[in-house]
Amino acid sequence: MAAELTAMEKNMRRRQRNRNLVAYSFIAPNFLGFAIFTLGPIILALLMSFAEWDGSNAMKFVGLNNFINIFKDERFVSALKNTIIYSVFTVPVTLVMALGLAILLNQNIKGKSFFRTVTFFPYVASLVAVAAVWNMLFTPAKGGIVNQILMNVFHTEPLKWAASSSTVMLTIIMFSVWKNMGYYMVIYLAGLQGISEDLYEAASLDGANAWQKFINITVPQLKPTTFFVTIMLTINCFKVYDIVYMLAGGSNGVVNKSAIVLVYYIYEEAFRNWKLGQASASALVLFAIVLVVTLIQFRGEKNYAND
Amino acid sequence: MKSKKTNRIIGQVIIYVLLICLAILMLVPFLWMISASLKFNKDVFVIPFEWIPKEPRWQNYIDIWTKIPLAKFTLNTAKLTIIVTLLQLFTSSFAAYAFAKLDFKGRNVLFLAYVATIAVPWQVYMVPQFMFMRSLGLADTHLAIIILQAFSAFGVFLMRQFYEGIPDSLCEAARIDGMTEYGIYSKIMLPLSKPALSTLIIFTFVNTWNDFLGPLIYLTTESKKTLQIGLKMFISQYSAEYGLIMAASVLSLIPVFIVFISLQKYFVAGITTGAVKG
Amino acid sequence: MKKRILSSLLAMTMAALSITACGGAAETAPASTDSAAQTQEAAPAAEAPAEAPAESADAASSEEPVNLKWALWDVSSTVYYQPLIDAYTAEHPNVTVEMVDLGSTDYSTVLGTQLSGAGSDFDVVTVKDVPGYVSLVNKGVLEPLNDRIAADGVDLSAYNGVTDQVTIDGNLYELPFRSDIWVLYYNKDIFDAAGVDYPTNDMTWDEYDKLARSVTDTTAGSEIYGAHYHTWRSTIQLDGILDGKNTIVDGAYEFTKPYYEMVLNQQKDGVCMDYATLKTQGLHYSAAFAQGNVATMNMGSWFIATLIQKIKDGEYTDCTNWGMVKYPHAEGVEAGSTLSTITALAVPTSAPNKDAAWDFVKFVSGEQGAEVMASTGNIPAMTNDKIVDLIASMDGFPTDEASKEALVTSHTYLEMPANDKSSEIETVLNEQHDLIMNEEVSVDDGIAAMNEGVSAILAQ
Repeated sequence: MAAELTAMEKNMRRRQRNRNLVAYSFIAPNFLGFAIFTLGPIILALLMSFAEWDGSNAMKFVGLNNFINIFKDERFVSALKNTIIYSVFTVPVTLVMALGLAILLNQNIKGKSFFRTVTFFPYVASLVAVAAVWNMLFTPAKGGIVNQILMNVFHTEPLKWAASSSTVMLTIIMFSVWKNMGYYMVIYLAGLQGISEDLYEAASLDGANAWQKFINITVPQLKPTTFFVTIMLTINCFKVYDIVYMLAGGSNGVVNKSAIVLVYYIYEEAFRNWKLGQASASALVLFAIVLVVTLIQFRGEKNYAND
Repeated sequence: MKSKKTNRIIGQVIIYVLLICLAILMLVPFLWMISASLKFNKDVFVIPFEWIPKEPRWQNYIDIWTKIPLAKFTLNTAKLTIIVTLLQLFTSSFAAYAFAKLDFKGRNVLFLAYVATIAVPWQVYMVPQFMFMRSLGLADTHLAIIILQAFSAFGVFLMRQFYEGIPDSLCEAARIDGMTEYGIYSKIMLPLSKPALSTLIIFTFVNTWNDFLGPLIYLTTESKKTLQIGLKMFISQYSAEYGLIMAASVLSLIPVFIVFISLQKYFVAGITTGAVKG
Repeated sequence: MKKRILSSLLAMTMAALSITACGGAAETAPASTDSAAQTQEAAPAAEAPAEAPAESADAASSEEPVNLKWALWDVSSTVYYQPLIDAYTAEHPNVTVEMVDLGSTDYSTVLGTQLSGAGSDFDVVTVKDVPGYVSLVNKGVLEPLNDRIAADGVDLSAYNGVTDQVTIDGNLYELPFRSDIWVLYYNKDIFDAAGVDYPTNDMTWDEYDKLARSVTDTTAGSEIYGAHYHTWRSTIQLDGILDGKNTIVDGAYEFTKPYYEMVLNQQKDGVCMDYATLKTQGLHYSAAFAQGNVATMNMGSWFIATLIQKIKDGEYTDCTNWGMVKYPHAEGVEAGSTLSTITALAVPTSAPNKDAAWDFVKFVSGEQGAEVMASTGNIPAMTNDKIVDLIASMDGFPTDEASKEALVTSHTYLEMPANDKSSEIETVLNEQHDLIMNEEVSVDDGIAAMNEGVSAILAQ
């Protein structure tokens, strides 16, 4: 009896080992390249957050000094705050807009492919062009289109948009949603194709209306896609950089405390001040936040899988 | 009965009005690009913006080819983009299959490591990565750019999420039929994931095509440089030629649109349905 | 315990990196093992100059072929690189110079990355600005030049004191070859139309303000701006250092107040364009001047070449009749004090051909290089009357005497003197400049914040 068990156990172990090997063979081509050329430098960079280094002179281990320094630096604290505010608003708004667009453009309508392409456009267009158009609408001058509407329709004071500390984040958030929703729409569009028609047909037979179908079929079926979109959106929001530089930096590239974001701060520390250790420490903070958000999401995904 | 029909018509009208507003909103930057591409630099950022230039400068579309070796740059970019996209497509979809459908030791930790690295901004590990690549003799080579782009975690993550949406029962059935995992991957998963593969192609293509900082750091020889570096060559220390930049940008968007439009036909519902029934 | 593991891990990785990096370039091996051993002063670098004189004489005369790799930017749009190289190789036929264009927008980032570690093979690098220079010196990747300068008898006084402003801890690591000064450009047509006399080479700031206001027209749709200030901090803040009493790195900025007040009042009265609009709209100063509704604009002498070229090309049609005068000055200060920026050459410590590189640097920054620079319409760092004549005689340069006279300076002050903390100081100054010009803080509050911020940096 006991011997039989061990034989079975051995058999199972061997099978598991085989299965492991097969799985590893699937992962290997990507993982080897990824581990050597990306993961390695990343780990090194994150370790650098405990050291002082300018890229050339010898590295000096400084313990937690870099972390103490950045949290004492007003610019870092502002960057952290701005990045969080930016992400908290941009993630849900972009997500909803992207899903809405995807469902709209998944209907049987004429010119579907034209509309899809057009929606994707701001994402691929030159950032200079997109920002120029945006600044024409949201110019700080009184003559701007949006300011005209504010003054004549809503009878409020004109706003200075990207040029004012109080509205610059709002401007960046709106801009970002407009520029990027087409990108996430494409992901949702692909996700929607995976939902079986049968489910909708069955629901129709049960007399479900469109809203019920959306809540009971579309949303749960899109869970893996939403998981992906949420995590990528969060990560990309935390890594936002170029649109801030473009909108808030303007013609002289001065990004002040009201608009600075983490990656811009990292760039400044790394390549203007050549404090690579401090840049890494800031990146580690960013990394930690994203990791927590991702882990929470993972939890959610597992719960769904267990349902 | 009648009211239902009118409702549908009203619904259709609303949808089209929405779509047309949307299209205008999204197309304005494109029109701006075309308009700017037909101007002298001095007039590009002047307000009020002249949407239809009085004297369009078609010369811009000629100058871009002679002022910089744009044809060579385009060729380089095309080469890099195609190789990276193919490699990315193969390695990502392959690895993603294991993460989605196979149970193995260390799966969750490994996957988390993949996803988490996406969160690390490139600016942080750019310097050590460059030093490492240079020590391998890869500085100033196209191979460096290919290696940097081809093994991204993004592709694995994207593909894994789409595989998750394909019922496990399909794989189980195939296993019982005696199919190997490689067989399941190539005969079942790949055909089913055309929308996802299309998405990955589009994103990888766009990213590599528009990549700027990577080639800028790595490629120093003129003849190896890419399109995006070329675009930045019109911005010199003391002046910027936005008319020329926009002309080149308009042209550089053409391949992106060709890829997008030609892959769109794979965004068709009901592929899974067919497979399950079949 | 953990600490030790971590630090040894770091040291190991770095050692591994630098050792593998050495595989490519044998000459650099001593330097990199030194840095791994935490030696602050690179010993071989200090030794090398001692032997330099004898060797460099050899290098100059020997027929052994040498290829110099030169890091720079904007190859296609810069007119003087090739003539400089041609002039040098004519004298040294055994030398070839290879230009490596790193692009202008991210030049400092790319160069810093390329020079990281010990694997770079650049022989000569161009240094774009002072903060970039300071960071390279701090990184220890540039050769100190003092010994070579002394050995070859280079006369630094020809640089009008500029080299003193970039000497760090008694050592010079770069030699300037190009220098730009700030002048006041003006559009003669606007002054003619308004019946107002042209600006002169000797104006106080008050006179300048009155002049700018006298040609201003605020009629909607056909505005004429008496003055134009690009969004850079330099255009306003630095006007205050021209009396020679203050510097921009002292931590006290009360002296900027009159200039901020002057420009803010001009902005309010429509004499110049609104800062917020200019900043978001992204209008380049050259485009602003080219519209033909800007009467005067303070800008660097680099704009001369752009103006001449664009007028010749037929792009600029509304400012063809331009002139320039010396910068306005504070009451009681001699006319001709102005701001300057320098572009310089340096030799990296990892350079494979240091002696030949130094010889090239010496040539380009020296008298022969200066003449080549001037013949292309650019102001060399080494100036004299002959150079001024050369530039002013260029086709397209304004023909009036005042414009030529404007090139002669009495004192020049670097936009940013070399300071250990210059890039951090710049961040503080830029931010407050932005807030003051957007009228989000009062001039006094902005200055108080500058004082506080910069003092904190200096105290570190």
